[in-house]
Parts: sequence; structure tokens; C-alpha cells
Amino acid sequence: MKNDKLILDVAYQPQERTARNTSSIMLDVIIALIPASVWAVWQFGMKSLILLVVSVCSSVFFEWGYRKLLHKDSSIGDLSAVVTGLMLAMTLPPTAPAWVAVIGCFFAIVIVKQLYGGIGKNFLNPALAGRAFLMASYATIMSSYAVPRSLAKEVDAISMATPLTYMYGGQEVPEFFTLKSVFLGTMPGTLGEVSALLLTIGGIYLIIRKVISWRIPLSFIGTVAVVSLIAGSATMDHGNWMLYNILCGGVILNGFFMATDYVTSPITAKGQIIYGIGCGAITMLIRYFGSFPEGCSYAILIMNLCTWAIDKAFNNRQFGVSREDVKAAKASKKAAKEAAK
Amino acid sequence: MNKILKLALVLFLVCAVTAGILGGINELTKDRIAEINRLATIAAYSTVLKADGYDLVEADMSDFPTVDKISRATNGAGHVVELTVSGAQGLITIAVGVAPDYTCTGISIIDHSETSGLGANAAAESDVGRNFRAQFVGADESVALSKFGGAIDALSGATITSNAVTTAVATAIRAVMALG
Amino acid sequence: MNIKNQFKEGLITNNPVLVQQIGMCATMAITTTLFNGIGMGLSVLIILTCCNVVISALRKIIPNEIRLAIFVVVIAGFVTIVDLLLQAFIPALSKSLGVFIPLIVVNCIIIGRAEAFCQKNTVGASFFDGIFQGFGYTCVLIIMCVARELLGSGRFGGGLIDVANGFRFTLDGTGSGVQIFPAEYGASILNLPFGGFITLGMLIAVMQYALKKSKKKKELAARLVLEEAERKEAEA
Repeated sequence: MKNDKLILDVAYQPQERTARNTSSIMLDVIIALIPASVWAVWQFGMKSLILLVVSVCSSVFFEWGYRKLLHKDSSIGDLSAVVTGLMLAMTLPPTAPAWVAVIGCFFAIVIVKQLYGGIGKNFLNPALAGRAFLMASYATIMSSYAVPRSLAKEVDAISMATPLTYMYGGQEVPEFFTLKSVFLGTMPGTLGEVSALLLTIGGIYLIIRKVISWRIPLSFIGTVAVVSLIAGSATMDHGNWMLYNILCGGVILNGFFMATDYVTSPITAKGQIIYGIGCGAITMLIRYFGSFPEGCSYAILIMNLCTWAIDKAFNNRQFGVSREDVKAAKASKKAAKEAAK
Repeated sequence: MNKILKLALVLFLVCAVTAGILGGINELTKDRIAEINRLATIAAYSTVLKADGYDLVEADMSDFPTVDKISRATNGAGHVVELTVSGAQGLITIAVGVAPDYTCTGISIIDHSETSGLGANAAAESDVGRNFRAQFVGADESVALSKFGGAIDALSGATITSNAVTTAVATAIRAVMALG
Repeated sequence: MNIKNQFKEGLITNNPVLVQQIGMCATMAITTTLFNGIGMGLSVLIILTCCNVVISALRKIIPNEIRLAIFVVVIAGFVTIVDLLLQAFIPALSKSLGVFIPLIVVNCIIIGRAEAFCQKNTVGASFFDGIFQGFGYTCVLIIMCVARELLGSGRFGGGLIDVANGFRFTLDGTGSGVQIFPAEYGASILNLPFGGFITLGMLIAVMQYALKKSKKKKELAARLVLEEAERKEAEA
């Protein structure tokens, strides 16, 4: 019954009891990620399948091992470790060796999640924190991308640059990265960020199943779109620049799957929109001014740290308290202050 | 009043004794430290500009805020400029050798805190690092990254670091030109 | 206070970094190679012992009102002496510790021990306090250096040990260290400030866990003795 408590914790008022629990939600997330994973395996071959499997297994193993070692209840049944492992693998480049995934899972599960008390208590998204750890440790491995199967004819090499590297390196994007190819996902990138189409389908499935709300993905992706449309670039017209900014890189994956993590995102509607806008704005700041071409994961980690403040600032009115009541309370507070002077 | 005088006297005595001891130690170690620093400078500078000694040049460098100091090689081979510029993660201290015809004779990164595996390659004793630094030999004050129309290839994944180093080289050459 | 007790306090129960949690800035900043760690630890040990002796010798004549000023002057004096000597005789250490040697002046461990211990204790006790607290500090630095160096770059004893031409110790900081596994497998983030924070955090957690456990064990033993005594009393 522990799992039901979690749902009550993250819902905002008024609350309602449902039959859903953590494991059914996590199962939905896994289902939503399957199309994109299958696509990645098709594009990048067996190596990426091994990466996915190793990542999921080691994630579950660390979760089980830590709880066992400290004589706590096992929590692998809630499937959250499977999701963390899957998501971490999604943020790895296909050429990454499997041991990198194991180290990333160790950091994500043991240090970011379990040391702070396990599911529901971590203040950072474990998968993204794992990715940031790997990025800082194995920068070379983490920034070389394999050539996908569908580009093998055009590109005769082992690794190639992602469209974002061209875009923010001030170069022309090669012709084979057409809008259609970046939308369908015939481009290099991390395992999970290549197919915008399949990720969007997964995301919409989650919204229909009411696992996530539309607010964070829409405000996140929307902010990226607005900023790139206004700021533009010398190499492309503004409309195309905006589409490439959304479809290339991790905006779709992160917007639908990472930023919407219950534990580390705000719980109120207003808060979620502010959070999404923050993620989008920081992503674009990093893309334009940072030293890496892509900044989604850092943007979300930074906003994770702001979540408590957003929750505090955009707290909902208590159920049953009207707008007039709030105004009256404010006015009386002000009056009391002035009287004190 | 008496009390304050007493306190002042005790503090004065402690300070005086400490200062005396420090003066003695300083006298003992002064020459050795100066010699060590001279050798360290020669060791760092000789990789960018061969000479047996370097004299610090006194000049007004307010137009070049990133320049720390300029030294003239005693054998007339040119100048060595030491600069501190901001890289991707922190400050990069770099020595640039400038020949009398205002071309770069070599660079050496003295201190940095760039990302290991990416920006840190600029200072690394590896093929990647050596090739990157060798590109600057013979460059003039218009040196720039290929991305900005120049001839320097940036380190992969480390445009900001590469650009910082390139800008530092250009600044160093201009600073020597300003000396006349 | 006996010496054995002081030793235990400095190393474990009142360890400056892990229990008193002072002097942590330098601890996180310099623990990247064993050479740095041992150098910093010994510098602090020497400065701490000298300051402790001088301050406790002067404790009767230092007026209470200006004691902090005098502590700082004494500490700054010793730190400058060590700084100059390092520059002159171990320049490699002086260069790699950089600003953290002069910063020992404001290291809480030294002024903290002066205020908490030397003011009230004899020269002899203060001398041992300096050695043991300094030793406790050095041990923490060594543990952190070994952990960060090994996990961060797969190496042991960087700067201190050279294996290029047979195994030997290098005191000039040029040793390459023993490569345990290839450096590219090391999580190099541990060499960055983040690694300092996380390693120190882990170490403090382990220490608190161990202290709590030993305290519980002691309480349990005491209770058993008590119960035994009560039982015997009841029997009688």
C-alpha cells in the first residue's frame, strides 16, 4: 500500500483516490518509450540493444542491492528503477560502451535516488543526473555519435556530428538532414533523441493515459520554439531554424519524459508552466551561449533545483477559499503591517 | 588607560617578535626562491621561445586587460607574453612567444581548468594537444578559428576553449606591436 | 587527559574534519593527488603543533580581550614561515597547493584548537593535541586523495611515487603514480570540485554511521551489565 501514498503526495488539491499506483504509471512510461527504443535498435544495431538491456538490468540490480544491504523493503516492484535505467540509456550515444551505462546507473540509483531516501525523495531526476555525471567524466565517449543505418550510404565514417553541432557551430547543416529526416529520426544522436515522431507518439500516449499533463511538455517545447523563432540564426530562415531546434537534440525526449518526472517537477498547474518555460529558456541559453551544443539535460537539472521554490511561490488556493477571501486576507495583513508602523 | 596601554604593548611585542622571525626566514630563503622562480620561468618560456633569460618589460598594458606580463628574450629572439583569458570552465593562463616580425613562435598553456577530454586537450601532452598548439606557430595578429574564417581548426567539442586560446594569441601579438 | 585518549579523539571521536567539520574548504580543494594530500596534511600538522605550543605557553600572559588578534598573528607567522620554506625547498608542492598554504591562516582547525584547547591546557598536552589533530586531518586527506585519485583517474600515489624507472618515491612531485587501471575509465568528475564535495559527504556519513553504531553497542553492553547485576540482586 506504500505505493498509493506516493500518488497522494504528488497530486494537487483537491485529491481523489484512484486505482492507479506507481507501478502502473511506470509501466505506461515504459510502453511509451518502447517505439523509440525499437527505432534506436533498428538504426544503431545490436550494440544499442545491449546498452539498453545492461542499463535497465544494472539499474534494477543497484536498487535491489542497496535496499537489501540496508535491510529496507525492496522497491524494485514499482518499476521506477526500470524506467530510470531505460531513460538513462536513452540519453547515451549508441557507441557508448556498456560499462559507462553501469557507472551512470550506479550514480543515478544509489547516489541521487537511494541516498536521499528512495523514490519520491530525490531532488534531481536520477537519469539526467546520471547523464550529467557521465558527461563530466567521459566527455569524449559521451560526445561521439554513431552513423545511423539509414545514413550509411551518405556518410562513410564511424562517427559523425549531430545536426545541433552543425547548427551551433555556425556551419551549414548537411543536405541529408532534411526536415523529414530529422522528424522521422534518420540522424545521429543519443539512443532516445533521434526519432521525434515516435517520441511524440509516446508522449501523447502518456497524456491520453493521464500519466503526465500537457503543461510541462507544451510550455517547454513552446518556449524553445518561440525563442528560436525570434532569435534565429544566420545559416537558416527563422521558420526552419525553429523546427530544427525542436526536432534535433533532446527537447522532445526531455520535454515529454524527463521534465515530467513527478518527484522533481512542480505540482501546481501554474508552477508546471513556469517550470516548462524555465527549462526551455535555459536550454536555449545553453545552446546559444554555452560550450555544449545541447543543454536540455542541464536545463532540467537546474529547474529541478528550483522546483521547491516554484511550488512555494505558485501554491494553489486552498480548496473552498475563494479569490475574495484571499484578497481580504492580504488586505488585512497589509493593514496590520501599517498599523504596526 | 593603563589597561589599554598594556594590551597594546602585549600585542606590539607579539607582532614585533613575529615580524623579526619572519624577516630572518625571508632573508634566508629569498635568494633561493628568486632562483627557483627564474628557472621555472625559463622552463615555461623556453618551450615557446628559445632563450637563456627573459627580462620583464615595464609597459602600460591598460589597453590589453588580459595581458599579465611581457618579457623580452635576452638574445633578441622576441617577446614572451603571459595572458589570462576566460575559457569554457575557468581562467586559462597561457604563454605566447612572439618573434620580432610579429608572428607567433609557439604557445604553452600554463594553467587551466577546462573539461577533461574536451577543452583540456588544448594543454594535453597528446597528439591532439600538440597538433592543436602547433597550428599557432607562424600565425600573425589576424589569427582566427576556421569557423570565423581563419586557419585554426578548433578542438572537437571545445569551440570556446579553442576560441579563447586563439584570441589570446592575437592579443599577445597586438600587445607586442603596441610596445613598438 | 592522557595521551591515548587524545590520540583517539584526534583520529576518530573528535576528528577535525569528519566530526568537528572544520577546515573543509582546503580538504575538498586540494585532495586530488596523494602528493598534495600528504603535503597539505603535514603542513597543517606542523603549523598546528607549533601554534599550539606557542599559544599554550603564552596563555597566562595573553590578555583575554585581544586573544584572537594574538592567535591570528602567531598563526600567520607560522604559516608564512612554512610557506616560504616550501617555496624554497619543495617548489612543486608549493605550486600545486597554491593559495591553500597561505589560506591555512584562516583554517578553522588551527584557530579552533587554539581557542578550545590550548587556552586551557598545558604546553605538553597542547603539543600532543596538535600532533594528533594534525594526524587526524592528514588521515582524512589521505583517504580522500586515494579515493578520488583511484576512481577519478585510476591512479595511486600521483606525484609521490614513480614507477617509470623502477619503484621509487619522488619528493619533487614529478612521479606519475601507479596506474591501477587505464585513466580513460576513471570518472574524471571526481577530480573536479564536485568530487571533493561528494567524497567528503560520503566519508562524513560513514563516520557518523560508525560512531552511532559503536555508541549503540556500548549502550547495549552497559545495559546487559546492569541487567545482570539486577538479576543477581534479585536472586540474592
